[in-house]
Formats: sequence, C-alpha cells, structure tokens
Amino acid sequence: MNAIEIRNLTKNFGQKQALNGLNMTVPQGAIYGFIGENGSGKSTTEKLICGLLVPNGGTIKLFGKDYKDADVRAKIGVLIEQPGCFSNYSVWNNMMLQAANLGIKNAEEEVRKVLKTVRMEGSASNKFKNCSLGMKQRIGIAMALLGNPALLVLDEPINGLDADGMRIMREVLIDISDSYNCTVVISSHVLGELEKIATHYGIVRGGKMIAEMTAEELNNNCRTYVALKTKNPSAAKALLGRKFTRVETDENEYIRIYDTVKPEAVVEYLYNELNAVVTEIRTDKISLEEYYIDLMKGGRADNEIKA
Amino acid sequence: MQTAHGLNFESPSLIKRLKGMLGVDFYRLFHTPLFYIFLGIAAIIPALVSMGSAMGDAEETTSLFNNAWQIIAANEPLYVVNDIGEYANMNMVFIFGGIMISIFIGHDYKSGYVKQLFTTHSKKQDYMTSKTLLGAFSMACMCLTYLFGGVLSGAFTGLSFNVNAGSLICAILGKIIMSLGWASLYTFINIIFRAKFGISIALCFILGTGIPVIGAAALIGNTPALNVFLYGSSVYACLSANALAVFICLMNSAVWTTVYIVCGTIILSKRDVY
Repeated sequence: MNAIEIRNLTKNFGQKQALNGLNMTVPQGAIYGFIGENGSGKSTTEKLICGLLVPNGGTIKLFGKDYKDADVRAKIGVLIEQPGCFSNYSVWNNMMLQAANLGIKNAEEEVRKVLKTVRMEGSASNKFKNCSLGMKQRIGIAMALLGNPALLVLDEPINGLDADGMRIMREVLIDISDSYNCTVVISSHVLGELEKIATHYGIVRGGKMIAEMTAEELNNNCRTYVALKTKNPSAAKALLGRKFTRVETDENEYIRIYDTVKPEAVVEYLYNELNAVVTEIRTDKISLEEYYIDLMKGGRADNEIKA
Repeated sequence: MQTAHGLNFESPSLIKRLKGMLGVDFYRLFHTPLFYIFLGIAAIIPALVSMGSAMGDAEETTSLFNNAWQIIAANEPLYVVNDIGEYANMNMVFIFGGIMISIFIGHDYKSGYVKQLFTTHSKKQDYMTSKTLLGAFSMACMCLTYLFGGVLSGAFTGLSFNVNAGSLICAILGKIIMSLGWASLYTFINIIFRAKFGISIALCFILGTGIPVIGAAALIGNTPALNVFLYGSSVYACLSANALAVFICLMNSAVWTTVYIVCGTIILSKRDVY
C-alpha cells in the first residue's frame, strides 16, 4: 500500500500550467524528499494533496482512498508555508484550538506530547507572534502532528532557518519518523539537510516528476568518481575522455572520471600515455545537490521517469 | 471504520466535525474585542437615534418616534421609508452584523486558519454552517443589546411604552430569527471574495442597509411580495406583527440559509482555497 499515489495530475493557474501530468508514488513509512526548482510544482502538488487546490485533471489517492475522503483527511498533518495560527494567542491556545477542531480527546495530554516532540514544551505560554521563524515552523509541525497523522506533508520546513534551527528541525523530523511511524513528505531546497533524513526522493521539473528513487538508488546514482589534478590538465582530460565515457572538469579544476576505476590505474595510465604526473588524486561521490544540478541541466538519471 | 496496513480510518461524524469547528469559532468570538465592540455599538445606536430625535424641536421629535418600541421596529411593514424614524430600528443590527462577519472571516484567511482547517477532515459545508451559526448568534446578541439600549433610551427620552405585547414579541422574535438568514448571506459573500474583505464589508453594508429592496419598493410599491427577500421579512417583523410574521421570517430565513450554505459549499469546493 502506497501512502500517496498520484497519476497524471494537472493544475493550471489561468494560462499558466503549474503541473503537467505529474506522477508520484510515496510508499507508506517513507520520508520522501520532494525536490525541485522554484516554480517547478512542488508546493502546488503538496497543496493539491492537502485539498487546498482543486486539480484540473488526474487522480490523487492517499492510502488507496480518494484524497477528499474525510476519513483519510483526518489522518493527514500539514505544514504549508506558515502555520495557520492566531498571532495574538499563545502557542498553547493555538494548539488547543487545533486539537478542538480535530475533536481530540485528552487534548491537553496530546498537546503536551507534540510540543515535547518539537522541543517547544518550554515555550507554550509564548504568544505566537513573539516566536522566531524556527519556533513557528516547529509549532506548525506540532499542529500537524496532532491527531496522530499517518501522513505528514511539510512544505519547506527547513528553509530560512539558521544552522541551529536546522539541527533542531533535523532531530525533530528524525524523532517523528521514529516515534510516530508516519509517512513524511518534505519539500526543500536545502538538499544537504534532506540527504540526512530522506529515504525516498522525487525530483520535479516543469510540473513533471522527472525522477523518483530510494535513498539507496540515489546512492548508486551518485556514482563514485575519481578526481585528480595534473600539470597538463587539458591534454590529460582529452586523453581520459577517449578512454572513459564521462570525464569532466569541476569548479576547482579537478578532472573527474565518472567510472569504476582504481586511482592507481589512472596515475599509471596518464604517466605511460602522456608522461603526465598526477599531483593529487582521490575518490569521492557526488552529493545529492550535484546529482540534482546534473539532472536539472538535463543530465540523465538512471531512474528517470519516461514520459 | 476501514483499515489499511494497520492504519485506522475513521470518518468523523458531522456532529463531531461541527462541534470542533463551532468550539473554535465561539472561543475566538468570546476572546475578540470585536464582538464586544459591536455589542456596544448595537446598544448605543438606538440611544443615539432617539437622543438625536429628542434634541430636535418638539415637532420633529413627534414625527420620528412617538413610542419607545418604534426604536425596535416600525409600526407597519414599510418597505418604502419616508424618514429616518421609519428606517432606524433593530434592522440596523444586520448592517453591523455584516461588517463583523466580514472582519471575522477575513481574519480566518489572513491568519491561515482556513488553510489549516481545510487540510484536515473539515468539510466545506461545515465551514459555511459554522460561520452562519456564529454570525446568527452574534447578531441575535446584538438584537438583545439593541433592545436593551432602545428601552433605556426610550425611558430616558420619556417616550410612551404602550404596545401590543404579543406583536412586540413577534417582531423581536422575527428579527432574531432573521439573523440566521442574514448571517448565511454574509458568509456567502465573504466566501466569494475570500481574503478581499474590504469588498465583502462594502457589499455586506449595502445589502444590510436594505437599499436594493428599498429601491425595488420605490419602484413597485409597498407590496408583501418583497417579503421573499431577507430585508423584506426583517421589515415585516414590525409592531403589528403576529404569528404569521414569525412563520414568514422562519421560512424565509430557513430557505435563504439553505440556499446560501449550498451555494457557498459549491463555490468553496470548486475553487482553490489558498
């Protein structure tokens, strides 16, 4: 059973097509990193899943049921942009109102629990308007956690946070996936942070899902490469380009060979063929960010979804 | 209850959903100064109207009000009004009510509460119903403070209190019942214009004053056919009212409330919320 199954989803805003036949599959229990450029359709997709927007076409199924069913909606927690809180009320009151809306029994106990999960138990009496951005985001997550959701949809919860805020948020999200046993969809531009928590990824471009993969598959896609420096880089690159399928120079003037090759063999090959001395050599893996940039440039992913 | 891989899916009942939403709305209502300000305005307005008329010359005072209960309702169902005395009565509560509902719903959108609401199990008709009931309650409360203010100011200005008690009760009851219909109209208007609550306020004000119905009455005359409109029935609940007037108000309010809640629900369902 998949937590989310979207097929051929389309959404237009006037003449602008925001989603163009988007497909998305989020397995139950996954932490799904939803990646894409600004305007690629991430937030639109999330708002459609949450029922805030009306699609022009396509289907959205949550846990095998139509996304509009009240019983499914009761099991969804959402943070889209800013949490919907009353600024003059305290954090506690805002939480209690949401608990009342959801018809939660033992509301006080439940609110205490979620505030503790998001490390906000000491700030419950603060007025919402006096909270920092990081606190507000965590309050939004706490509100989304009320009612023990099976699916949590978080729209860019990390963006705009300082380093400490990001660390706390990361811990909170890991805690949630461990203790709440829910499926989490997180969109973010901070790919380095996402890489630390996501179990699955979806990459969207121009309103279409261009790749979906597990963290393991991404790990395989983020291939190992050999990076080297030599005193004759242009000749070395040309030579290596004839032997290996993909050779590039990165922003630090390292020649990268994207292939399964031993560094010693490369050193020996360059010396034998070009009499070139390798001054520096190491093996490394491309990061999620590099992989993403590569995809956005039009590079092909192994898990690319065929239209 | 249905299950999917260990998950329990329980569809919350209408009562449970409404109870939760009404709980939040009424908590907010009782914790916002806006409500008390409008209650105060509703109490002060009759005093201002009667005092204003009393401060004029004796002839003018007589032409405006010769009975304290005229501050609450007109003697006859007058759709065409000739002076402020025939117009200025408890119906003015429906103008303040419209403004209050517009500000309240505008705040729902501004704060993101609507967004938070519709991502949960809350249905669109729940929102329409909850806001209509909240608005009706607010306007009913304003009717009572208006009554209180009217009685006090009538006593203060020395007006007569002679009245047919049954008709007076029917008039007040009719106007309180009409609060429901007016609240549904205002909620509907605010659903159409959503976050642009300046437009909603202006439109609620215009409709609340009854100008369209007064205009129609000026063209077609003082006919009971105008009772099909909210303002018409509100006027019909006057000091010559009887049980029929209450029944008409009840039917009118119920029909328009149903129409506006159904139309509002359709609009909310067909349009993007946020």
